[in-house]
Amino acid sequence: MSFIEVRQISKTFKLAKKKSGLKEAFKSFFKREYKYIEAVSDISFSIEKGEIIGYIGPNGAGKSTTIKILSGILNPDRGECIIDGMTPWKDRKKFVKKIGVVFGQRSQLWWDIPTEDTFLLLKDIYDITDDDYQRNKKDLIERLNLEDIINIPVRQLSLGQRMRCEIAASLLHNPEILFLDEPTIGLDAVSKQLVRDFIKRLNKEKQTTIILTSHDTSDITALAKRIILIGKGKVLYDGNLRVLKSKYDTEKNISIKTKEKLVIKSKGIKTKKKTREGYDLVIDTNEISISELLNKISKKITIEDIDIENNSIDNLIVKLYEDYKI
Amino acid sequence: MKYYFKALALNLKSELEYRTSFIFSFISQIIIFFSYYFVILSLFTKFSNIKGFTLYEVLLCFSIVQFGYSFNEVFARGLDKFDNLIIQGGFDRLLLRPKNIIIQVLYNESDFVKTSRLFHALIILVVAITHLNIKWNIIKIICLLLMMLSAIIIFFSIFLLAASYCFITVQGLEVRNVFTDGGKHMAQYPIGIFSKGFIYFFTFIIPYAFVNYYPLLYILGKSNKTIYAFSPLLLFIYLIPCLIIFYLGVKRYGSVGS
Repeated sequence: MSFIEVRQISKTFKLAKKKSGLKEAFKSFFKREYKYIEAVSDISFSIEKGEIIGYIGPNGAGKSTTIKILSGILNPDRGECIIDGMTPWKDRKKFVKKIGVVFGQRSQLWWDIPTEDTFLLLKDIYDITDDDYQRNKKDLIERLNLEDIINIPVRQLSLGQRMRCEIAASLLHNPEILFLDEPTIGLDAVSKQLVRDFIKRLNKEKQTTIILTSHDTSDITALAKRIILIGKGKVLYDGNLRVLKSKYDTEKNISIKTKEKLVIKSKGIKTKKKTREGYDLVIDTNEISISELLNKISKKITIEDIDIENNSIDNLIVKLYEDYKI
Repeated sequence: MKYYFKALALNLKSELEYRTSFIFSFISQIIIFFSYYFVILSLFTKFSNIKGFTLYEVLLCFSIVQFGYSFNEVFARGLDKFDNLIIQGGFDRLLLRPKNIIIQVLYNESDFVKTSRLFHALIILVVAITHLNIKWNIIKIICLLLMMLSAIIIFFSIFLLAASYCFITVQGLEVRNVFTDGGKHMAQYPIGIFSKGFIYFFTFIIPYAFVNYYPLLYILGKSNKTIYAFSPLLLFIYLIPCLIIFYLGVKRYGSVGS
């Protein structure tokens, strides 16, 4: 049995229907109509200890619902979820000691006082022994570079500094599983890199299982080998990111700067567009390789400049969404 | 419980970060509190007693109820502000921590400015007692302490109920003020001065009468039924269903979400 075992969990929410117009509002005052929204349906997957999972999907796909179920905040209508031998929503107090959760958009730090004070409270909340506390704190301060910011009231910290403190706060008790919900939202490139490196190292050295949701697909590419794609409450893809890439990421955009006129016909060239400075081509690398194409072009015209745009994982996901019609 | 007090200390530290605001709020609390006090005083310049209760008898009742209410405002403020916790999603965060959920809610916010009221209530309590000719004995002392304790518990229970309401909807929260704030203003006077219907309501639905009426009668010697002295203990029983309702709310939250 895997470390995290999720079997066919479903969760439906009941929402009051809201219609526009005064008449409708009056009607619904007396007779409420409800609509049922299936946030997740029949979701199953298993995760081994020490994996990093990129959990992705568009807004409203059911990502947070799944995270909430896995972390024991919500209980599903159907299905079971066993993590390290426990059912999250049944053994709440025992279970949550094993997990750390970082919500990128919600702080767990006391706003008006320094981070270190919050740490001291967390020490008591998680019953961390003095030795463990000192060791973990020292370790986290070093790795997340917190030395200079841990004694400043949280409200005076920059977003990046605060996020580093947030992450440290959720790791003080040495959790075995770390949920990261949009951990790099709003961070600059340097802070992003720091956070990513830290997460990588944490996973490598402590075998912490990490479940990461993010809309920033560069996070996912940098950290996760395996992704679970969810849309409209269903698992659409579960597997290796590279496999997915080679399957979907076959299109490349090539911009060529030239003053001459280019006439070229070849299989693999999907579109050709004249631009102000030259041409934009979209090619399918399964049918024509880039070098082959460039060879052909350079025989005909002088290329002044060239720009090859790797189809980003963002586009890949957009394509996936289109494929699955979500 | 250590974490509870540590969290309160952090709350205090947070509040003291804004020193000027803290000082001004503290002073304004004195003014607010004494405005209540002067309302009662001015009533008694017109009437020498209200349904047999004299000024200091009413003040005794008033101070105990104020004490209980302010105590909760300081130490259980999070319950009073529970709707924020639900709306802003902070409740999820609390569920992720391996400690009792109610205690975590309690310390989630506190309002140490209200300690000001706590002191005023105690001052007026002392003033009232020194002006009243009470023949103190051990039972009466116990009765007084029970009154104070039950005043804390009744408002705690009502706050709990009001908080439980937030699990169902966070709309129309003004309703709860009828029972918390409104209840407090009523309970400042011995329930006996109101009409029968009120007395029944506040005996059986929200048992203010066991906090500020029956035990008061005993202390003032208006009744010598010893059972009245111990009637505040009934509040402990009242607390149980309130706790159960709150826990049912927590359970519902787990299946419905916010």
